[in-house]
Amino acid sequence: MGEFKVHRVRFFDYMPTAIRAMAFNSRTERLALARADGALEIFNFADNYFQEKVIPGQDGRAVEALCWVGQRLFSAGLNGEITEYDLENLRPRYTVEAYGGPIWNISINSQETLLAVSCEDGTVKMFEILEERIQFQRNLDRQKGRIISLSWHPSGTLIAAGMMDMIKIFDAESGRATHRLLVERGVGASKSKEVVVWSIAFLSDHTIISGDSAGKVQIWDGLTGTLVRTHLVTKWDVLALSISQDESSVVAGTSEGTVVQFQFLSSTVDQHDKEWVRTRTFKNHSHDVRALVHTKIAVVSGGMDTQLVVRPLLDKVEKNTQESALRKVAFPHRSLVCCAKKAGLLLFQFPDHLELWRLGESDGHGKPGDSLPVERKPEKLIQLKRKGEDHICCSALSPCGGWLAYSTVTSFRLYRLQNNNISITKVSKLPKDLRSAHQLCFSSDSSKLFASSNHSSVVVVALNQPECKYLHTLKPKSGSRQPVHLLFASEDGKWLATANTDCEILVYNLEKLKLHCTVPVYSSCPTAIAIHPTTSNLVVVHADQQIFEYALVKKEYTEWSRKLQKQGLHSLWLERDTPITHVTFNPKNPAHVILHDMFMFCIIDQSLPLPEAKTLLYNQMTLRSLPESERIIHSHAFKICKNFQHLMCVRLLDDHSLVVVERPLLDIMSQLPAPVRQKKFAT
Amino acid sequence: MTSLLANMGKKQRGETSSSSKTASIVNQTEDFSLVLASSDDEAPEEVTFEESKAQALRSMKQALHTARREKELLKEKRRKRQELFQEQKKRKRLPADVLEEIDSAASKKQKQSEDEAEEQEAEEEKRKSGKLSRNLKGKYTVTTVKVRASDAFQKQVAEDFIRSRLYGAGSCRTTSNELLSLQNKKGRNRSAAVKFVNKDWACSEKAKAEKLKKRWIHKQQIPS
Repeated sequence: MGEFKVHRVRFFDYMPTAIRAMAFNSRTERLALARADGALEIFNFADNYFQEKVIPGQDGRAVEALCWVGQRLFSAGLNGEITEYDLENLRPRYTVEAYGGPIWNISINSQETLLAVSCEDGTVKMFEILEERIQFQRNLDRQKGRIISLSWHPSGTLIAAGMMDMIKIFDAESGRATHRLLVERGVGASKSKEVVVWSIAFLSDHTIISGDSAGKVQIWDGLTGTLVRTHLVTKWDVLALSISQDESSVVAGTSEGTVVQFQFLSSTVDQHDKEWVRTRTFKNHSHDVRALVHTKIAVVSGGMDTQLVVRPLLDKVEKNTQESALRKVAFPHRSLVCCAKKAGLLLFQFPDHLELWRLGESDGHGKPGDSLPVERKPEKLIQLKRKGEDHICCSALSPCGGWLAYSTVTSFRLYRLQNNNISITKVSKLPKDLRSAHQLCFSSDSSKLFASSNHSSVVVVALNQPECKYLHTLKPKSGSRQPVHLLFASEDGKWLATANTDCEILVYNLEKLKLHCTVPVYSSCPTAIAIHPTTSNLVVVHADQQIFEYALVKKEYTEWSRKLQKQGLHSLWLERDTPITHVTFNPKNPAHVILHDMFMFCIIDQSLPLPEAKTLLYNQMTLRSLPESERIIHSHAFKICKNFQHLMCVRLLDDHSLVVVERPLLDIMSQLPAPVRQKKFAT
Repeated sequence: MTSLLANMGKKQRGETSSSSKTASIVNQTEDFSLVLASSDDEAPEEVTFEESKAQALRSMKQALHTARREKELLKEKRRKRQELFQEQKKRKRLPADVLEEIDSAASKKQKQSEDEAEEQEAEEEKRKSGKLSRNLKGKYTVTTVKVRASDAFQKQVAEDFIRSRLYGAGSCRTTSNELLSLQNKKGRNRSAAVKFVNKDWACSEKAKAEKLKKRWIHKQQIPS
């Protein structure tokens, strides 16, 4: 395989933001997730939980709640605005001021005609859903005190609202509050604090389930306005509730990080005396759980520990299968690190700034596993803060290290780096077609910049110092409206490969500036693409961990790819739960394909036999223990290394050294906000 | 000492027997006379029932009178304050004709903005400057304040509310170091807390401590 000098980079202080709200669209199987910094992410639950789309956040957009209305996504936040998002162009479509102060919750009625928002000033405002916008209809009776949570009755005639110390039931037509349910305060010291009804659910049999800050989950009869049952679940707050679609199960998320499930069961056989019984408790989070979704087969939770956890319910899926495994999404499914291969520079993308670092140097030699002494420490060359309120969407660094570009949803900036990358000058005259991009890529000779723009089109711009000139816009024939999320320019400058979230992979001929071929569509979304520098084979890895290799010149799948499909990938490879985010090649050995996900990086040697289903996949340790002569018999194509965790980026520099950017989850956890104090015996 | 006790006695009796006011008052006068008697060593005064009854009725009437008078005074005060506010409001309000003009201009402005929806640049500019100006017949202009300070303030209040409920007083929170160190403390091979074990923990604090140590050593070395 060959030895590599590895630059172990741990100075990327990546900090994800807390998950604040979630909404699941059961028809399209998409989960929308809102983070505390206003960023929105869309996960495709049908495609191995792949993070399809990311809409960057904005300063001041403090999202408190999300709501799907058909295929449209709405959010409401503490800035008092309701925002509708354009999921094809990955930006907010428009915002509507509610004029009620900060908005705490948003909810759509089951007929999908009226959107209700609960505001700080005590009003519940109703908005009509129209074709291209929403329109204010009326206010319900104003109450004294803020309305924190909101739930429509499935019939669309009643609304239950959780406030401070009480729950009110409104008649949606007359706007009057018909019932007032008083919620008991906590015991002891918390008796003096008002109890906040953080979340509420209204069922079709007029049962109301509420979760409050005193740690109680209460079951109420909405018709008579009386309390049926109280369950004290935690000493801290119950922050989130979610009901299943068939209304037989409710999950409650607490500040402790636990998710408690209640099911509507009866203790007798004839099912007459059904009641809400506490069944399961899941502890998958270390910090507060602030968002919960109950899908048909799983409980999805997220909170202050920034990880998205999908816990399939074992009574709905088959045990001990891939489907029933616990899934945790900790890192984004795209690369936030750009590497200038020729110059040995790294660009780190943060939501509000970019950092350019030069890698350190070491002259030493050693055996595998040795730590070499660092002669020149890595240094931060430039820290570039973004202008404006919108967060950075994407960024790129040219391979020579001379150009830097980044884009937000409203602006695009290009910079020229000089004097050995210390000085930076902004390129002021940009072509007007280049307004904002979803993905950026420089050509390997740093002469062109490719920017993915509206509706799967790619803008090609020529970089002539000191300015840049618009060349062409590459458009797909299919007229797809989805954004291009992957771009790769080949080493020889002839090809540009693009992939969009409609699972279309298109290859353009850059010399003729037109479409060369379309790779046959595969049902799973591509997560990484790359073109081999010498053979011009396109390697594509998909969200379901499948790997394909397509010969661009011949326009057909390669022999190796067909062999791999026939034999099938090893089951352990297919069971991995993080996607491959980057594919690269080894200039010294054309048979090597280097890929990585969050937990491992793998060198696929196409000259070696593929692993059989029964053989050991992670066999590097055993091979090392065998004598040299015997190794060749037992080795297979997939050489996986798990020495470095948790990987954000693995790249191969031109001087044949490997760069591994690690961000251990422990480092992230140590900087999270305070968790609750749980007294454990003998600590 | 005795007068204090007498006061306490009066209070207690007042609370328990609210229905029999006359009886309590009679008791009070009796008590008082008893006190006098104990200090003067004289025979108690004879007070007839009619006299004490009349006295009691008089004091009740007086109490009612004072209550009624107080209520009326309060009413007067409130009325006067309300009038003052009305006057102030009238003074602050613009003349009625200007208000009419603004109303009509507002409806015209709405129509205009719907037509101009495509001119994004103009909208962006307006948003940048933050002002919406309406010219009313050249005489008056109505503009909004540049930064919606009340919005930002309300947002801050809401954020503070969440923060104080989740992380404020009485929320029983601990540090990440404690949470991560639990394994170290309870495991089979007990070791120190994570902040001591992990080399990357609190790098800046460690650097500060190093500097302080060097400075202290340097200071110690100067006199010698």
